[in-house]
Order: sequence, then C-alpha cells, then structure tokens
Amino acid sequence: MSDTASDDIRLDDLGYEIAGRPVLSGLTLATSARSIGVVGRNGSGKSTLARLMAGLLQPTSGTIRIHGHDLFRDRRAALETVGILFQNPEHQIIFPRVDEEIAFGLRQLGQSKTEAAEGARAVLAGFDKLHWQDATIAALSQGQKHLVCMMAVLAMRPRLMILDEPYAGLDIPTRRQLQRYLNRADTRLFHISHDPADLADCAQVFWLDQGRIVAQGAPCPVLADFTAEMNRLGELDDLADLAG
Amino acid sequence: MISLTSPVETRAHGWPAGAKLAALCLASTGLFLTDSLGLHLTALALVLVLYAAPGRVFFTAGMRHLRVVLPFVALLAIWHLITAELHAGVLIVLRMVVLVALANLVTMTTRLSEMTDLVHRLTAPLRRLGLPVHLLETAIPLVIRFIPVLVARAETLAEAWRARSRRRPGWRLIFPLMLHALDEADHVGEALRARGGPLGHTRPE
Repeated sequence: MSDTASDDIRLDDLGYEIAGRPVLSGLTLATSARSIGVVGRNGSGKSTLARLMAGLLQPTSGTIRIHGHDLFRDRRAALETVGILFQNPEHQIIFPRVDEEIAFGLRQLGQSKTEAAEGARAVLAGFDKLHWQDATIAALSQGQKHLVCMMAVLAMRPRLMILDEPYAGLDIPTRRQLQRYLNRADTRLFHISHDPADLADCAQVFWLDQGRIVAQGAPCPVLADFTAEMNRLGELDDLADLAG
Repeated sequence: MISLTSPVETRAHGWPAGAKLAALCLASTGLFLTDSLGLHLTALALVLVLYAAPGRVFFTAGMRHLRVVLPFVALLAIWHLITAELHAGVLIVLRMVVLVALANLVTMTTRLSEMTDLVHRLTAPLRRLGLPVHLLETAIPLVIRFIPVLVARAETLAEAWRARSRRRPGWRLIFPLMLHALDEADHVGEALRARGGPLGHTRPE
C-alpha cells in the first residue's frame, strides 16, 4: 500500500479541554511518515490524543484530518481508515469468544455473518492461531488478550493503526512477539508510549509535554533528549504537585 | 452458570437450538403438571443418561456445573424438614435439579451465536413494531463476556480489603463494584464506537 497524498495526518491548532481544563492545546503537526511515535510522561495528554485521532472524541478547538477525513463526524470513513489498540485489552474486547471478537469489526464494515466468520478464520490462520477460534476470552493470558485485540483491529485492514501504550505491563518476550506481528502488518503506525525504547524504530517522533508538542524529529535526538530530561526529573519531586 | 461450555463436541451440538429449547420448555411444563415421585425419579435417571451419553469427560464437567444448585438443595431440604412436608420437599428438590440439569445441558451443547440467532428470529415481530431488538445481539454476548470480569474484580476488591482488615468486607464492596461496572461500561462503549457501534445496526452515516 502506498500513500501518495502527502501529509496524511494533519492536526491544526488542536485543543481539548475536560471541564474547562486544557488537556491538549495548540497542537499543530503534519506528517506522512509511515511510523510515527509520540513520547511523553503520564498525564501529558497522550491517550487523549490517541482518542482524538481515532475520532472517538470531539476536539474542543482546532481540526484533525486523517487521510483527509474528519473521523469524529465521518464514522464510516473512520472504520475504514483507523484502528485503535487500547492500553488494556479488557477495555477493548467486547465478545466472550475469540472468533466473535474478530468477526465483529468485519460485520461493522458491512460483511454478512458468514463472510465475517470466514474473514475471522482467515485472520486467525494468518497469525497461525486457528486453534484459538473457539477459545473463551476469560481463559486467555494477558499477552494472548493483547494479540486478540491486535488481530481484531488488523482484520478491519485500517490504513493507520493507533497504539496507545500497547506494551505497558508486558514482559520482554511478549513485547517482542507483538512487535513482530505489528511490523509484519501492512499499515501505518501511530505509536504512543512513555517508554522511549518502544519508539526507537519510528520514522518520526513527537514529544508531548503538558498537552503541547515540545520537540519533534528523528527518533535518535528527540528520544535522547527525552531520556535525559526524564532522568533529570527523576531526581526531583514533582509528584508533590497537584493538578489545577 | 454463565458461559457453560462443553469440553467435548457432542452430537447435540449439531441439533437446532430452537428444538432444544422447545424440548426444555416441554419438559419443564410436564414436570410442573405432575406430582408423581416416580415420574420425577424417571426424569432424573433420564437426565443422568443424557449426561453420560457423550462420555466420561462430559459427564464430570456437567456434574461440576451442577454443583451450584447444591446450596439451594440444602436450603429446600432443611426448610421442608422443619415444616415436615417430606414428600413435597423431595418433589421440589428433584424438579429443580432435573430442570437446572436440563437447562445446563442445552447451554453446554449450544453455541452462543446460535442462541443469539434464535433470539434474533424470535424477536422479529417486535422488530417490525420498531423496537430496537438488534441491541440484544450485542447485549447478550456482552453480559457473558463481563460477568467473569466483574466476578474477578469483586475478588480482587475483597482481597485488597482483607489485606488491610480483619473484618469481612460484605456489602461495603457493592458501591465500589458498581462504580467499577459503570467505568467498565464507559470503556466498552468506547470500544464499540471505535469499531462501529452495536451489531445489527445500519452502518454509520
């Protein structure tokens, strides 16, 4: 899949407020990089940005265009354009069985019940997990639940996959395996993480702090600055500060 | 009793869900129409044969699922011992065990998707009246998905309580559990929206 349009992701003076308090403000960016990383501390507005990008939240001010679409207004385009992988699979999985979870998104794309079941089987086979078909979600491990979420989102063939801290709390082998599956998938990635190590392979990285972009560019310099700053803050006690 | 599944594929898995439910319905009505102890015992024996037919693995799984009725059996037995209505007590206990066992049997041998399909067909007249019955198609799996999640959440809450208290938590966990359920509902709402809303709905505009 080639992206001919330049600057497929455009945020223009994007702002988001919760109860009058700004979570994001003045975010402007345009990028057509194939893999984009956003790094930032807890509470920097990363998850909110992920939800805005997926069209799940309406911006308080400014605009977002993903491949030219306003995904909050145009949900149909949203389903064909973006997929979002939440941090916690328990917040994502809707159905009690693996095949139903995967088939759900396909039915939302307009496929019939049999087509969707067939598609779910094809996805499972593509991941070498055909034997998971009848498995109940409750019986899966945390890493396996993550993979179900990933398969369910990738089944819908999104052009852009938004990842909201997808590896938080997972051990190194599980991370590596999930990462391998993601790299194999033919989709652009918008990866949000507090851990610079997750983003080292991105083509472009944005550093988000207190709802603003404070640095952007190639991963090497941005992530090095970020790590240095995080280590410096680690010596201080800004945990003491209350919001507001 | 939620999400009862069978460890083995039985012949009954191939039978239509509607037929199985209709048979269950007939059996229930039949048992309520008779007070004969002999008929109830025969029914119990028949149910046991049905459980045994697919083999030992199925039988043990089935019996394990049935254990949840034991407290009710004990309660009813004690009550009828106190009121000295032995015959009625035995009858009620037998009837309950047989019916729960039969209902479990139907659940164990029917895929959830077939059950929701059946609901879909049965609610067709209501749909024509304009009721939003398509929501059931998503609601039923959601319940089955989230009961174990809520149960696990209740267990961790109780554990967190016990870690810092010698008293039993009891009703005091109900409120935090409710808040958790609401929170969970928010998350699932978001997950549904991220992938296009409930099933059976016309596609988003």
